[in-house]
Amino acid sequence: MASISLSKSEKSYIQTSLLSTPPLRGDGRSLLDYRTIALETGIAPLANGSARLNIGKPTHEGGGGTEVLGAVKLEVEDVENGDGVDGGRIVCSVSCSPAAYPHLSSNALDDLSYDMTTLLNQTLSHPSLHPPNLCILPKKKSWCLNLDVIVLSDSGNVYDALFMAARAALWDTKVPITRAVEYQAKRGGKNPQENTDVDMDTETEQQSGFDTRHISRAVDFELPDYWDEGETLAGQDLWPVCVTLNIMPPTYYLDATPQEEASTPLRLLLAMSFPKSASSRLQATRLLGPGEIELSQIKRLIQEGEKHGRELYSALEAKLREEDVRRNQKARDKFVLR
Amino acid sequence: MVDITIRKRPDTEAVITQRKFFKKTARGKVIKVLRERYLRDDVGCGIQGCHACAELGNLPPAGETGHSAFPMGHFLLPDTNVFLSQMDLMESNLFSPPIILLQTVLDEVRHRSLPLYNRLKALTKADDKRIWVFYNEYRSETAIVREEGETPNDRNDRGIRKATTWYQSHIPLAHGRSASSSAMPKVVLLTDDAANRRKAEAEGLAVSSVRRYVEGTKDSNQLLDLLAVVGEDSIEPTRAVAARSALYADYLPTAAVLAGVKSNQLHQGHFNANPYNYLEGSVSVPAFTKPVLLVGRENMNRAVHGDIVAIEVFDESEWKAPADEVVDQETTLKNDDAEDSDEEGEGEEVLEQEKKVIQSEENKRPPSEKQPTGRVVGIIKRNWRAYVCHIDMSSLSNTHSTSLSQQTVFATPVSRLLPRIRLRTRQAPQLVGQKILVTIDRWDNTSRYPEGHFVRALGKAESKEAEQESLLLEFDVPYRPFGKAILDCLPVEGDKWVVPPKSASSSEWRDREDLRQLTICSIDPPGCQDIDDALHAKRLPNGNIEAGVHIADVSHFVLPDNPMDTEAAARGTTVYLVDKRIDMLPSLLGTNLCSLRPYVERLAFSVIWELTPDAEIVNVRFTKSVIASKAAFTYEEAQLRKDDPHMQDEITESLRLLNSLAIKLKAGRMAAGALNLASPEVKIHLDSAESSDPVDVEQKELRETNSLVEEFMLLANISVAKKIQETFPQTAVLRRHLPPPRTNFEKLQDILKKRKGMTLDVSSSGALAASLDKCIDTNEPAFNTLVRIMATRCMLSAEYFCSGSVARDTFGHYGLASPIYTHFTSPIRRYADVLAHRQLAASIAYAPLHPSLHSKSHVERVLDVVNRRHRMAQMASRASVEFYVGLALKARGEREQGLVQEEAFVIRTFRNGLGVFISKLGIEGLVMFKREVKFDPDNYTVTLPFELTGNNDVTIAVFDKVTVNVEIEKDKNTQRGRVKLTLAKPIDSRNM
Repeated sequence: MASISLSKSEKSYIQTSLLSTPPLRGDGRSLLDYRTIALETGIAPLANGSARLNIGKPTHEGGGGTEVLGAVKLEVEDVENGDGVDGGRIVCSVSCSPAAYPHLSSNALDDLSYDMTTLLNQTLSHPSLHPPNLCILPKKKSWCLNLDVIVLSDSGNVYDALFMAARAALWDTKVPITRAVEYQAKRGGKNPQENTDVDMDTETEQQSGFDTRHISRAVDFELPDYWDEGETLAGQDLWPVCVTLNIMPPTYYLDATPQEEASTPLRLLLAMSFPKSASSRLQATRLLGPGEIELSQIKRLIQEGEKHGRELYSALEAKLREEDVRRNQKARDKFVLR
Repeated sequence: MVDITIRKRPDTEAVITQRKFFKKTARGKVIKVLRERYLRDDVGCGIQGCHACAELGNLPPAGETGHSAFPMGHFLLPDTNVFLSQMDLMESNLFSPPIILLQTVLDEVRHRSLPLYNRLKALTKADDKRIWVFYNEYRSETAIVREEGETPNDRNDRGIRKATTWYQSHIPLAHGRSASSSAMPKVVLLTDDAANRRKAEAEGLAVSSVRRYVEGTKDSNQLLDLLAVVGEDSIEPTRAVAARSALYADYLPTAAVLAGVKSNQLHQGHFNANPYNYLEGSVSVPAFTKPVLLVGRENMNRAVHGDIVAIEVFDESEWKAPADEVVDQETTLKNDDAEDSDEEGEGEEVLEQEKKVIQSEENKRPPSEKQPTGRVVGIIKRNWRAYVCHIDMSSLSNTHSTSLSQQTVFATPVSRLLPRIRLRTRQAPQLVGQKILVTIDRWDNTSRYPEGHFVRALGKAESKEAEQESLLLEFDVPYRPFGKAILDCLPVEGDKWVVPPKSASSSEWRDREDLRQLTICSIDPPGCQDIDDALHAKRLPNGNIEAGVHIADVSHFVLPDNPMDTEAAARGTTVYLVDKRIDMLPSLLGTNLCSLRPYVERLAFSVIWELTPDAEIVNVRFTKSVIASKAAFTYEEAQLRKDDPHMQDEITESLRLLNSLAIKLKAGRMAAGALNLASPEVKIHLDSAESSDPVDVEQKELRETNSLVEEFMLLANISVAKKIQETFPQTAVLRRHLPPPRTNFEKLQDILKKRKGMTLDVSSSGALAASLDKCIDTNEPAFNTLVRIMATRCMLSAEYFCSGSVARDTFGHYGLASPIYTHFTSPIRRYADVLAHRQLAASIAYAPLHPSLHSKSHVERVLDVVNRRHRMAQMASRASVEFYVGLALKARGEREQGLVQEEAFVIRTFRNGLGVFISKLGIEGLVMFKREVKFDPDNYTVTLPFELTGNNDVTIAVFDKVTVNVEIEKDKNTQRGRVKLTLAKPIDSRNM
């Protein structure tokens, strides 16, 4: 991706220094170091879950990092009239702010947004990740989860940022608790003791062979506790993180800056999820760039990538939990102690 | 340099500053709503002269000191449930401790019940109450945040306790001294929730249950009766609840009911009790053309007349026909004891008996008349209100007949549609023989009767004041005197107000035509004080006739959206009782400033036509005007004047002119198919103004002049309706009368055919009018009127509507055979007319239309109220007439020393009785037979067998003329006077 234009000599300079021993990077990092990642959840109060993520320099430090904002909005969909899918669905969309890519024309910007949308949507709406609690009433009503991600600025490694923001927003998502409202015809279903009082309609007591009671008759739902934010979206630990391996044969490095990205011929995107109970899963891969790579090498890269992914995953997990405490427990304590 | 501080709160405090909640919209979407909350330190505590708060309060600093448990004074802080279940107590005049009403409580009450919330709001504004609304959620010390996993209820309870704690610590500050806390007034948390009480006591708060609190007040005896029955545990802790078996099926949960209604498995409708049979009711639902029948206590399942219920309809094989027997609650349930009726032993017997009644009926029901049958499975909305009742004397236990101890008694509502209500009272002996107001609190599925509490006594039964008030309460007529805010809307000059002299600068004269020189007169019933219409007619040089209808310009005085307007909209109509008029507008307007009295100048809204001598409209115009009526006639005077050939003056001429036009207008209307309907109308002669004892009842007489006025009012209404509909097609206030469904007439058609061999063509109003004209029995002139009365009952009632809300082709007025109609001519006594006046004024560009009249939903809402009030007012005046007819009969019985006999027509036959209509008295009644008689439902006859009559069988059929003995019998249990009828001719039925 030509997000920035560099001269041949500049590219060659960056490539050479990355391959030298010890490898040299513009900001002094080692090859496998990430820049500082800042994360904040719950930034959009009206969304059901939201997060802001910054790689590099956060805005309050002067800005200039890769900044991505993700928000989840749940909508009720009617399955019967064909609006929704039974069991709910996930729709992701990514839009790139023109400020993030000032050099791109609006068409190119749309293309870029579309590429990112496709990647995110295909990965996250995959059945293997589908959370079970998006269903409100089987075959009748379901939640449509809209995940909207905005790229506010791009200083490299936007895909990792994209997935991390998406994961944080989904992790933060609370699904309002609903209660099915149903009417079950209780013809003759009175207690036997009541029947002593009532001599009428006693003939309907025996069970019918065509008992259809197992089919839910629920037609609508209600919100039992409307003050409550709801329960967390199921599969909190499943949402994948993405690690971009920037491949510079024979080696690779992580978290590229825009200049490094421009001088790297090939990038391998690995989206991995780390379920607590099972072994890690590779949810998606993408190869980007004009370079070439042999299949045998990819296997090694994926193994390496899993290692980095797990590190990123556990760091993110720790931060997410900390955010949760900050926003609820600590804030409440502060209020009580005021 | 001004010091600027930024008060914007950082996002990190979101938990405290933001209140988030979800809302489900009508279309099934879920919306997240976010409210910002700003906590302040200056929310006032409401205690007068508080040293810590700047706001002025209304609570006395020492609190209330009259309570035995709190000698140092106290303030009351009730929780939500106290208001939800004990509102009558709170509203009582005797209950006046200073009350702290928390915002949390207010919000919760609003969420749970809007009517109670409105009562509570009114209470906070009442002068005799000392209630301070404390915004505890906005005061930083008392605001709380919901904990993880805390239910909303627990959160609110915690908030209430926190506020109580705060008040307790605030009181010493309020007094501005650090006195020992024992000498300070206490804040008492009033709650019936035992768990909450325990928690509060653990926190060291003063707390009390409602009952315990009331027992310590000064007027505890009267107040204890006002306590609603809540939860058995507090009242009858010893009684074994489990031992009782449920008499009724449980209701389905609300949500399930709504779901059932939505999926069309259940039906929703108003529950109508059957006045003739207390074990039967019906519900009209859109899914069936016939109402759904509910037979027996279990299937009616605790529904009370007027409730909106959800019903389940049985399979067609179980459908039943309505009962044709009169089943009276009082006779069937005579031996029921109020104290014991919820225990098993004796209750069984009664149930057994009821079951027998139902079954014996069932066998006799003709299978041909089956209609959908079902049962109540849930209540969508209770429409319980306070009911006027009598105490059932037999339910008083003999041992305590004079003591003041608490006992359970039955109250029998005046209305036959309601079940008896069980209540506990200490004042039972005093209440016997009085009319009392009783509210239903609840109806458990273990209890045969609803339980209620005594609200207040209205006075001695049959005293006029008590009867009058009970009538007004029963029909929900607002009869309070007008408040100060309303009277402030009247002109400041009061009754000195006159039309100012004509001048260009006068606002009254702006765009008004000066019609003072016209010979205008008014024709009204004798003694009419609110003259809202006047007429004139004169010949024009071109041979045509100018006729004018002048209506009091009420909209000049009643301006939109002020307190008087709001009150008038709420009252909807003036209610006429026999001896009292409950005005819609203050009487200064109704009987003076707006009344078109003779010889004074009055503002009017005039409709002026140019008509050809054949009463064809050439031209019509509308204008605001100033008139001076030249004469106010009664119908009789006008008739005499017109018929007197010696009178040749201008007024008489114009009367004759009007009359000639009216005759042609009426002919035109009749040709178009208007119905000449009849309803029983009688007139009560009052003896004298002081005693107002009725002396006699006579039927109203109709003169030619009645019809004269009527024709011109109709013409004015139709002309105005056309004009406002043209100008405001979306929001015009119109009136319509829907054609009745043909099935309504089936029974009448069948009776007419079988009994008289006559046919009724109901294909159109014109055809109906023509066939009604043919229903003549040469031997019986009153027969035609009787058929008309019965036909009228088959029709729907006319209603006001907003023109944008219904389809254009349903605008028609069936009875008048007019394609469009409105009410314009009586703005003093009908609110719809006031709206029509405003719209007409706007359509002639006299004044801009108030924005509310551009809003379809607003107009609809107002008209819904007016429609309901109108119906209620009609029923109230009918009931008032009935009461006076009863008094008159009683007086006559005493005067004539014996039986009063009247001629009557049979209008309905039952298995064990006859429904008769006494046209001379305008009342309907039942003749009951105690012995077995032969009943032929297909031919509408009842045959009294010869064993009873002594010689031959006597057959009585619908439409037969009989003579009945009319007696007023006083029920010795309930003190309720009721008309008892027995046949005198063709056979004396007193022993049958």
